[in-house]
Amino acid sequence: MMGEQKTKAAGARVEVRNLTKKFGDLLVLDDISFNVEKGEFLCIVGPTGCGKTTFLNSLTRLYDLTAGEILVNGEAVDPKKHNISYIFQEYSAMPWLSVEDNIRFGLDIKGVPKQEAQENVEEMLEIVGLEKFRKQYPHQLSASMLQRVSIARAFATKPDLLLMDEPYGQLDIELRFKLEDELIKLWEKLGTTVLFITHNIEEAVYLGQNIMVLTNKPTKVKTVIPDEIPHPRDVTAPEFVKLRNYVTDMIKWW
Amino acid sequence: MQTKTPAQERRDKIVFGTLAVFLFLVIWYLVTKLTAFGEIFPDPVTVLANIGDKFVNPLGKVTLAGHILVSIRRVMAAFVVAAAGGIVLGVTMGWYPVVEAIFKPIIEFLRPIPPIAWIPISILWYGFSEMSKYFLIFLASFFVITISVYSGVKSVDPMLIRAARMLGAKDNQLFTTIIIPSVVPYIFSGLQVALGNSWASIVAAEMVQSNMGVGWIIITGQQSSNMVQIVTGIVCIAVVGMLLVMIMRGLENKLCAWNKQGR
Amino acid sequence: MQKKKSKYLWILSAVTVVFVLFIWWLVTDGLGIFTSNTLPSPIKIVQAFIKKLTDPNPDGATLGAHLLSSLKIVLSGYLLGVVIGIPMGIVMAWYEKADLMIRPVFDMIRTVPGIAWVPVMVVFCGIGFTSKAIVIFIGAVVANVINAYSGIKQTKQVHLWVGATFGASNWQLLTKIALPSAFPMIINGLKLSLGGAWTTIVAAELLASNRGIGYMIQQARGILRPDIIIVGMFVIGIVGSLLMLPISLLEKKVMKGGKW
Repeated sequence: MMGEQKTKAAGARVEVRNLTKKFGDLLVLDDISFNVEKGEFLCIVGPTGCGKTTFLNSLTRLYDLTAGEILVNGEAVDPKKHNISYIFQEYSAMPWLSVEDNIRFGLDIKGVPKQEAQENVEEMLEIVGLEKFRKQYPHQLSASMLQRVSIARAFATKPDLLLMDEPYGQLDIELRFKLEDELIKLWEKLGTTVLFITHNIEEAVYLGQNIMVLTNKPTKVKTVIPDEIPHPRDVTAPEFVKLRNYVTDMIKWW
Repeated sequence: MQTKTPAQERRDKIVFGTLAVFLFLVIWYLVTKLTAFGEIFPDPVTVLANIGDKFVNPLGKVTLAGHILVSIRRVMAAFVVAAAGGIVLGVTMGWYPVVEAIFKPIIEFLRPIPPIAWIPISILWYGFSEMSKYFLIFLASFFVITISVYSGVKSVDPMLIRAARMLGAKDNQLFTTIIIPSVVPYIFSGLQVALGNSWASIVAAEMVQSNMGVGWIIITGQQSSNMVQIVTGIVCIAVVGMLLVMIMRGLENKLCAWNKQGR
Repeated sequence: MQKKKSKYLWILSAVTVVFVLFIWWLVTDGLGIFTSNTLPSPIKIVQAFIKKLTDPNPDGATLGAHLLSSLKIVLSGYLLGVVIGIPMGIVMAWYEKADLMIRPVFDMIRTVPGIAWVPVMVVFCGIGFTSKAIVIFIGAVVANVINAYSGIKQTKQVHLWVGATFGASNWQLLTKIALPSAFPMIINGLKLSLGGAWTTIVAAELLASNRGIGYMIQQARGILRPDIIIVGMFVIGIVGSLLMLPISLLEKKVMKGGKW
């Protein structure tokens, strides 16, 4: 179905038009429109409970849309057609698969030839540093290793579009920094378009090229703030602190 | 994927559940009326009419309600004793290694014998008396409850115990504040399974030998090839069995509201 | 220190077993408090066991023949129930329409203990192989349907989402995610229904039979031979445990990832 599997992801262009989602009478997403360029790293921040997860789940059509459309490279989004990966907030490693098989999961679904799949798996194992644990099962792993498995699984398919829903929310700060750096490296290497949802402003300013701020429910786009500080970023640099404070002002959920 | 609210889901369940049972009865009715199956199997209307009738007119010695009450009494009398004994033994076995060492081999040896296999020996020892039923139900519940409670005590997080000890908790405080709360879900799952076992065992025991009870209804139905009576008995067994499960679940939900895992 | 303590406990266990056997012997052969047609001594039970291996008296067949007869019925009814029940439970859980309609009916049927179907089947097809095999089959189908069903239903939403975002087809979602998720419950169903089947056969043979291990202990009761009853009970217990072995092996094999 994927035709030829690219060693480097192409990076997808995403257009969101008038995205609206209601649960019953409850309006959660209210007429959201924006574009994401090929290979862009977009961070999405917003108050807790503002429907960030609903937003991402609507993007991948895990939820049916109430109105509006989402185009990937000009076509209606379809995970069967587009090469998408999603890293969830919860631990999502399959408990019945070893680390290695978990990372291979997406490749299996997409029917990638064995040889190529194995190469990708090996590469990912190395990048996230889980080579020694390849035969282990999720119940033997720590929280951070579990999340790394999810990251490796998501990148193993060389996705054109990667969606991340507070993937580091449950990790301690040191690990978060480490995995954030790993993420940037992978993104730079593969050229994937990344949509990264977080409620942590510092994380957003540390990672994104653009920071999209959402409003409280019903969710709308409040503003998009460019973040042009070059990587690797220093969280104590004055320009970083300034930008962080600016984003904080834009959100103001307290 | 569709998204439904919990209230909607519950309503769907009730609506479709009622519909399904109704449909089941309709199909049952049609099959007995339209096919040869009806010659050997009664239709639901006849069965329901018979149930209504036997609540007024006696079936054997007593009415249907009488039979049901006899069976429930037999189960409850022994079940309560077994529950009390099983909980006490389970907790002490889980807590004191010496008690564990003494009782575990014996229980592990007797446990695999299904309660129903005790029927002949219970009749041989206690004859026709109610005691033979009590003995059987006791066995059907006791081991299950003991083992469940025992494994519950064993699974208490040692960290919790150590933490409490460090805070200066005495043994009896440990018991009331840590052991008992974490064991309650296991007690309930043990009681749940034991009650199911007991109900099945009393039916079997009454079928083998009795002059009253729900098991008696179906076995005398068999002896006189009276299918209406057999099905009447089966319906009673199902309904009472379901009610027992619901009562236990209700109790559990009330008492273990903090523990969502206690299914 | 810890090791010494556990060794001491192990000895205590052994001593208890010996002590119980001794008391048992004492109240029977030793002091004669119980006569051997109430409670035979452990020695008499071992003797009865050895004799019953080759002697068809007093109930018409050797222990092995009875056991074989029971096993044949149990395994045919059980295996058929498994083969039909598991796929049925999976389909019910995977296709919501089927689920809402069939589930309540199954919940109703499962509250009827297997043994209660015996009279129906006896009236239909006598006391032979068929009636008992059908009773076992009913019990096995119901338990396996319900467990496979619950297993599939417990599939984590996030795992399905992982599959969906990778573009998995409905069939892939079922076979690569829902089915493995359901393994522990399916195996649980295999175990429960086997235990149930073994119990049911014993009960059915107590009631209506002319062969089988349940028939043997019921006959022994009639002629006051508690030694044979107790031999039968132990054999029932041991065989019941042995039957579980293949399932435990399967469990170890499929569930390398621990419980989930």
